[in-house]
Parts: sequence; C-alpha cells; structure tokens
Amino acid sequence: MAIRNLPDTRLSRIIDPLLDRVGRAASWLWLVLLLVIVGNVLLRYVFGEGRVELEELQWHLYSLGFLLGLAYAFQADAHIRVDVLSERFSARTRAWLELYGLLLALLPFIALVLVYSLPFVWRSFELSEVSQAAGGLPFRWAIKAALPLGFLLLLLGALSRLSRVWSFLFGAPPEHRP
Amino acid sequence: MTPGEFLALAMFLSFIGLVFTGFPIAWVLGGLAVLFTAIAIVFEIDLGLATGVDWRYSSLVVDRIWGVMENWVMVALPMFILMGLVLDRSGIARDLLTSVARLLGPVRGGLAITITLIGVLLAATTGIIGASVVLLGLLGMPVMLDKGYDRSLAAGTVCAVGTLGILIPPSIMLVLMADRMAMSVGDLFMGAVLPGTLLSLLYIAYLLGVGLLQPSRAPAARGEPIDLGAVLDLVKAIFPAALLILAVLGSIFFGIATPTEASGMGAAGALLLAWMKGVLTPAVLSEVMQETTRTTAFIFAVLLGATAFSLVLRGLGGDELIERALLSLPFEGGGIVICILLATFILGFFLDWIELTLIVLPLVSPVVTGLGFDPVWFTVLFAVCLQTSFLTPPVGLAIFYLRGVAPPGVTVHSIYRGVVPFILIQLFGLLIIFLWPALVTWLPARAFG
Repeated sequence: MAIRNLPDTRLSRIIDPLLDRVGRAASWLWLVLLLVIVGNVLLRYVFGEGRVELEELQWHLYSLGFLLGLAYAFQADAHIRVDVLSERFSARTRAWLELYGLLLALLPFIALVLVYSLPFVWRSFELSEVSQAAGGLPFRWAIKAALPLGFLLLLLGALSRLSRVWSFLFGAPPEHRP
Repeated sequence: MTPGEFLALAMFLSFIGLVFTGFPIAWVLGGLAVLFTAIAIVFEIDLGLATGVDWRYSSLVVDRIWGVMENWVMVALPMFILMGLVLDRSGIARDLLTSVARLLGPVRGGLAITITLIGVLLAATTGIIGASVVLLGLLGMPVMLDKGYDRSLAAGTVCAVGTLGILIPPSIMLVLMADRMAMSVGDLFMGAVLPGTLLSLLYIAYLLGVGLLQPSRAPAARGEPIDLGAVLDLVKAIFPAALLILAVLGSIFFGIATPTEASGMGAAGALLLAWMKGVLTPAVLSEVMQETTRTTAFIFAVLLGATAFSLVLRGLGGDELIERALLSLPFEGGGIVICILLATFILGFFLDWIELTLIVLPLVSPVVTGLGFDPVWFTVLFAVCLQTSFLTPPVGLAIFYLRGVAPPGVTVHSIYRGVVPFILIQLFGLLIIFLWPALVTWLPARAFG
C-alpha cells in the first residue's frame, strides 16, 4: 500500500507535475497507435497490401507509450505492490521500507539500464542504423533513445519520491531541502 | 550445487521474501538483478568461485528490453486494455448487466448467472484480477444482496467470475503467456476457449442447482414480467458488445487479422460504440487514455524487472537447477506436471499472474515440453491453476479485492464460505483438462489446420 500523506518537497513540487504532464501527453499515443492500426488494416483490404512502415510505426508508438508511461505510473503510484503484510505495518515502517527499496532496488536498476543503454543508442547513431526491412523506418537510434529517456524520467520520479520519504522520516521542513 | 546455483536459489528466495515488504514488485525484481550481479562478482573475484555472471553479462538486459520494444505482437496488449476500459467506462457493461438481469431475474439463481455471463463477456478484456473483481463487486453485489441473495453465494460468484475473466480470450494474460512461451497468440486463445466455456458452464450449473435445492439462498426476483420490450432492450444492450468481442476473436480465429490488428480494431470498435451511445466526451476519452497508460506501464514495469531478474537467474544456472530438481522427483511425466501446478498454486497466493507468467512459466515450461507434453495444453493448465489459487482462502487475491469493495455486512468469513464450492468446481475443471488434453488442443488444430 502506498504511504499516504507523504509531504511534498521543493523538488517534488517541480518534478511531479512535470511527470504528470508528460504522462498525460503520452497517453494520446494510444489513440494515434489505434488510428495507425486501423489505417493499415484498411489499406490492406482496400489496396491488397499493408505498409511495412506503418507496421513498424505501430511498435515505435507502443514502445514510446509504455516507456514514457513508466514514470507516470510511478508518480501516480500505480505499480503493483503485495500489501498482504505491509498494510499492517505502521506508516513509519512503510516509509523506511520505501526508503530502502528506492535506494537498494529501484535506483540501482535505473542505473544499470541507463549506464548500458546510452552506449547502445550511441552505437546505433554512429552506424546510422536503419530498419532491416525493405520500406522500414529510418533513424533507428531515435526510437532506441526512448529507452534511456523513459528511465531518465523514472529517475526523476524516484528522486522526487526519495525526497518526500526523506522529509517524512526525518521531519525537516521541506523548504530546507534542495 | 555450483556456487552459481546456490546464488540462483538465494535470489529466488530473496524475491519471495522481499515482495512482502510492499515495495513495487517490478523494482524488487530489477534491484535483485543488480544486487546478485554484484554478489556474483564478489564470489568470483574475492572467493575465486566462478559464477559466469558479471556486469558485461547483465548489460544484456538492454538488448532484452529492446527485444520487448520491437515486439510487434505485444502491441496488442495496450489495445486490449483500452478496449476493456472503454467498454467499462462508457457504461456499456452496466447496461448489459441491467438488461440481462431483467431477463434472467425471475429464474432462481438468475442474477448470479447474469453476473457470470457479464463477467465472461467483459472481464476478459480488463485482464487484471483486481479490476474485474472490483467491477463485478461494485456492479453486481448490491443488486444480488438487494434481491435477497445469500451473502456468501453472491461473494463467491463475484470472486470466481472475476478471476475467470483472465482465462477467457481475448485476455491480456494469454497474450503475455503466448509471448513468453514463444507460441502463437491465436493458438493459445483457441486453446483456452473450450476450457473457459467448460468452467463457465460448470458455474452456471452450480448456480442453477443452488436455486433449485436451496431457493432461499438465490431467490427469484419479483420484477416486471418479461415482455417484448425487455427482450428488445436486451438485444440492444448485448448485441453491439457481443458482436465486437466475437468479431475480434473471429478475425483471429479465421486468420483474417493478426492479434495486433484485431486488438486495434477492437479498441476502435469500442470507441465507436461509446460514441454512438453519446458518452464519449473529451473528458472520458482522455481519462480512458491515461488509465490505459497507467495499466500498460505497470505491466511493462514488471515485464522489464522480470526480464532483468530472469536474465541473471539464468546466468547463474537457475534454469538447470529447476530442471534437475523437477526431473529428480520420484514421479512420471504427469506427476511432475502436478508438482509444478501445486507449486504454482501456492505461489499464486501472493503473486499476481503477471509475475508468475513472467518468471515461473518460462522456468518450468522447457521441462514440461521436454517431457513431450503439448505447450498450449500446459499453459492453459497453468492458467486455470493460477485462477484457482487467486480464489483460495486465506490469501487469495480475489478475496482481498472483494473485501475492499463489498457492501457492509459481507464479512471475510462469508466470502471464504462462498468461494469453497467454486474452488471445488475449479479443481474438477483442472482434472478434466488434465485428463483430456484434447479439450485444449482440438480447437487450435482445427482453426489452423
């Protein structure tokens, strides 16, 4: 269960609305994706063949959608938790667990993905990689860059949450925190 | 046991222990992947014990995530989620319930049967146990209690039907399972049709039986008599949604569209229905889109965490460990399958299907297919087993979700009592599928020659 009433901090007041706005904007990607799928199906039935670039565009949109959604879901606290036991803990215990979780699990995981995905994107950029398929989309590095971008947003979300949990646990007024 | 396998075991046990901290499962999985890579390196460098896992190996997680990103089949997932949410938020689900209830109300047990039918029709697309149990609990419980239904019967029906939804195509659980098992989504959908139908028929038979033998627990509703108007209302309410879901399944079944295309068309169709009904305001549209993002994102978060976790677990030799352990059991092939199902059943007490599908299913499936069993059959068994475990007291997930939304007066105890008959039905269904694999394999074989 999420901890209720975590205090806002100066950091979280900047980051959380930002992530919220990015998430809301990214949500419209599903509508675009839907139109692309419907368009491609119609093309196939009217003109006898679908377009490879439209098919590729579909997974470009979908992966952009879920990667940008990660931080949004984090900020909205929509990620699945098993709260069979933890709902019985006190708010303070839960905040401590949240602190350890952020420091020992989430941040290292984000670091792993960021550290290795940046060279991954850079390699693609240097090689000017394009789709292998005939008629596929160019600029493969651009969609690959969605991976570090999504995790960068998630990092912001994690730092914001960290500041709020910290402020809850150690009680310093939020104004004194960077 | 090699040092690597020792670490693999420790990693799996840490996972089981740490989920109870209540920290999001996705990040527990990802964090353990990083932590155990570090421990493996310490083993190797400081203790001189080779483990085969280092940063170079774990950096492969980026390639694996890229594999998820360019996976065209998985595009179906957000689209099915969108379709389910639109049917739910637009009130199409509610209309269905009211009109079918009016028709079946005068039958003893009819309201509970209505819930079953609606659950099967609609919960399929929401795919998350919590969502379908909450939806049916909020929609159906008050109606049934109002008409004098026994509390535990009503609660049991809602829990069972809410979890049955994940098994009935087009369920997103089946899309994810097919992806992990490298099998065709169409095959798995078709494989699940007959077992899902069988279970729903067993539910209905049980509810009719209760109505007949214990009329006081499931009284007939005294309402207006059924006239032509009621029937017309029913057709008007049920026809569009049923047509939509049949069109989605049919186009996959007959090979007209891929699951991805069918999901997109299904979502478009649902939006069209909502628009014709006049409820598709900009506010509703944007809310549905945002909900789709949140649901999709939390499923993919677990997917990414599980990808990292499985990568490291595999690197440490976890899959050989599982295989050796399973094959060393003193049983024949069928006995091993039963042991796997039993373990799944227990894990299902505290993990949702997403984690089990992503972590346990890929670990055990090579063993089962290696023994010569049909992978689609095994996956369907696995799915039914998961569903049963979500119903089982004291910790079944469905029970927890229902407890949160049930009207006052419905105690945990009455929910426990209500689910027992359904658990027996589930075990019976599981047994039938186990004994007659053709129930699963017949339809896919016919559909795709």
